Amino acid sequence: MKPVLEINALKKYYGKPANPTKALDGITFQVMAGEFLGIMGSSGSGKSTLLNCIATVIRPDSGSIIMNGASVLKLKGAALAGYRGKQIGYLFQNFELLDNLTGKENILLPLSIQNVPEKESRKRLHSLADYLEIRDVLDKFPSQMSGGQKQRVAAARALILTPGIILADEPTGALDSRNAKSLMEKLSGLNQDKNTTILMVTHDTNAASYCRRILFIQDGMIFHELRRDMETESRPDFYERILNVTAHLGGGSANVL
Amino acid sequence: MFYKLITRNSARSRKENGLFFASLLVSIIAFYIILALPRQDVMIFLDKMESQAVDRLFQMIPLFFGMTLLILFFLVYYAGQFQLERRRHEFGVYLMMGMRRPKLFLLLLAEDFRSSLLSLAVGLPAAVLLSELISLATARIVGMGIVGHRFTLSPTAVLWTVLGFLAIKLGAFLLLSGRIAGQELGALLSEAPKGARRRLAAPIYVISFILGLFFLAAAYAMAIRGLSWYNLKKMGTTLLLGFSGTMFLFLGLGSAIGFLVNHTGRNRRLHTFTFRQIQENIVLRSGSLAVSSLLLLAALCCLGAGAAVSGYFNRDSNVFSLFGKTDSHILDYTFPEYQEGAETLRQIESNDLGACFSQLFEINLGHIRTGDGQQGDFTMESVLEALEQAEASQDRDVLLNNLGYAVHPYLISLSGYNHLLSLAELPALTLAENEAAVYMNHEDSTPGRLELMNEILEKRPAVTLDRETFYLTGTVQTLNLVTDRAISLSFALIVPDQVFARYTQGDYSTYLNAVLNPELLRSRSLMNAIMDMNERLDEAGLEYESHLQNMGRKLFYAVAAGYLTVYLTVIFLIIANTVMGVQFLMSQQKSGRRYKTLIRLGASYELLCRCAGKQLNWYFGLPAAVAVISSLFGIRSLLTGILGYLTTATALELMGVSATMIFLLAVVESVYIAAARRSACRYLLTLMTPEREE
Repeated sequence: MKPVLEINALKKYYGKPANPTKALDGITFQVMAGEFLGIMGSSGSGKSTLLNCIATVIRPDSGSIIMNGASVLKLKGAALAGYRGKQIGYLFQNFELLDNLTGKENILLPLSIQNVPEKESRKRLHSLADYLEIRDVLDKFPSQMSGGQKQRVAAARALILTPGIILADEPTGALDSRNAKSLMEKLSGLNQDKNTTILMVTHDTNAASYCRRILFIQDGMIFHELRRDMETESRPDFYERILNVTAHLGGGSANVL
Repeated sequence: MFYKLITRNSARSRKENGLFFASLLVSIIAFYIILALPRQDVMIFLDKMESQAVDRLFQMIPLFFGMTLLILFFLVYYAGQFQLERRRHEFGVYLMMGMRRPKLFLLLLAEDFRSSLLSLAVGLPAAVLLSELISLATARIVGMGIVGHRFTLSPTAVLWTVLGFLAIKLGAFLLLSGRIAGQELGALLSEAPKGARRRLAAPIYVISFILGLFFLAAAYAMAIRGLSWYNLKKMGTTLLLGFSGTMFLFLGLGSAIGFLVNHTGRNRRLHTFTFRQIQENIVLRSGSLAVSSLLLLAALCCLGAGAAVSGYFNRDSNVFSLFGKTDSHILDYTFPEYQEGAETLRQIESNDLGACFSQLFEINLGHIRTGDGQQGDFTMESVLEALEQAEASQDRDVLLNNLGYAVHPYLISLSGYNHLLSLAELPALTLAENEAAVYMNHEDSTPGRLELMNEILEKRPAVTLDRETFYLTGTVQTLNLVTDRAISLSFALIVPDQVFARYTQGDYSTYLNAVLNPELLRSRSLMNAIMDMNERLDEAGLEYESHLQNMGRKLFYAVAAGYLTVYLTVIFLIIANTVMGVQFLMSQQKSGRRYKTLIRLGASYELLCRCAGKQLNWYFGLPAAVAVISSLFGIRSLLTGILGYLTTATALELMGVSATMIFLLAVVESVYIAAARRSACRYLLTLMTPEREE
């Protein structure tokens, strides 16, 4: 299988060279096409830095990020904007819907930025709206939507241009458990039915249990990896395994089972 | 450390709010220039000629100054409010770290004072320099020459500029800081409230838009039909309709923009976002946008009316004589009360002044002395009848009224008038024994009236001059008889010299007119030559009226109208544009999160700048456009209403005035838009820089 995303020896240090904070310390992994990869770690472990590096919000000190065979770090200007808009779809913890735009306008925003004619995506807009059950709120403003609806609209916006990968940053962070469950089911469904590649950073064990593979990060390095056998392992079982690992996170590798 | 904090903070405030800082500089310059008006060359000169009127103008300056200070106070207060609101969190942090409230107050006061001093340090020298340049330029334009110019610094103007500026800054600061200081620490530390005002139901905006259009149309109709000038009530109604119409229109404009969002340019990049931003800004700030638009309208009307008044007093004449030439300046001096024995002539000769004049000639004016004075010496029923039969018009009514009273007209001797004609390079009049020509001074003769009279004169109407029949012939004559324009005749008859002598019976006034020798004018301006000549005539003890006095009077009105209206225009423009600019930039910063989202969704810096530029064009353009449309009616109404008796502006001239105003406004607006765009893009660039978001 071909990797969609390759992260090689990525480093990002903050602070003075004499006493740096190592947010990312030579991290290396790959994301395969159609994979649903979770990244977990405690606060300050570097998981958000990693996601921000991939989303080109932060520039790493060294290492490389290869998306579909091309180096992301070399992108500039229009190519960089194109990468952000078309190759990745970003799902924010706080949804980041524009509150003065209706649901539909928010979803179509990436088209407007990338200068893609609206006609081409109208069909996709309707199928996404149906799938994510947001047809009713397409003409409403975010202030008139529930948290779950907002995040599903945000998901539709991330998916509208069929990006190569969805980067989700704590997507359930601002949702109650019912809405979180519903969103995760939708994301998981997208991954299984539509083969959408998802890279999700999360604190939430429950949300993580929908992933196929989970990387645990500590002090900027990968410290453990869990894989779920989709055929044989149920989600509750996988959840148990994740809980086990997270219980030992923070105590160093000696505590891991 | 405290001092360092003051320096850094005040520098940051200036940088973040450059537009506001620049506007303060311009207002300092405007303050000084208006206060230093008495020191302008042209005003010093006019003070000698028209001291009463000039003094009255000078008395009005403090009033103007006070009024603009008041308006500017609101601007400073408003812009300062935004600036302080933005720093709430920072103030909270200072207090958390143990800074006491009095110390925080002192910090803010010192920052504000430092900024004010810097504005004055930059603004005052610029103001003095500009004031000198204006002084030189006006002196040159009016032909005074700049040789005698001396650099003048007006200490009182400096003092009042400094005092006025510091007073409004301090006043606004005290009010604002009082509000901030009274707040709870927790309230300061929490992020500034989003300011999202509750929106009204959509139909309200639509109704408001329609109401606005309706009210404005009514106000325009009242203005253009002259109804507003009937009485104070009608005027009040027009103003109220215009004001409320503008308010309603801007409140409802959001719905029109909403329509644009849904129905146009969907495939243009960031079209929906751009228009939603515009819509939000307009809905949330409809009140201040409407006020800005009204201020722009006030600026346009001031400038339009000022330009028209200045233009009116500054032109040589607005009346076209029948020979196609303008009634330009032809006489330099008139010696009044010139009596028999040619005493004045002898005095001129004895003082070696004869060579100074190229022409010296008499013009005689007198009443009919042969009649009994009971019945009226003069009747022209045929002329009045012809007028009555003419097509009804305002000109006809005025003529009918004026000529109806012309029963004791002045007579003018033909020889003197022909001399004037020859000086104006116009063909001489020839009159038979029983013929007379009509004279009307040019102030009373609009082109329409002249045309009407000339049509009647073509038929050689018969009139009665003390029981004898005369025929009116030729065309209406309008040349000024003497240099002093205060002596003007609304209706007189030019008659052959022997007829003049017979009717006046030797009881008439003679004026000695003089033209300066062209030799004297070589290598110097007319104004300087006349000023020198005046001195020599004063020494000789001669009584005279010079062209300069007359010119001075006109010049005074032109300069006074010019200065005051330009001053008010500048102030209104500054306030309107600064309010719009500051508001836009602040609302852009409040939308910072939205821009960040756009960037993460792949929007490039160039795209965002374009989007900000488009928003700015609309944000500034809408109030300006409404102001321009209103001004087309406003300026016209002003010119025909207040200035109706002065000006005979034609539709073409009006259009010219309006076009110039619109062009000037477009230039000013584009400068402000460019400045605001620069700030907006600078802010967007800060959002493009990656930041750590844990």
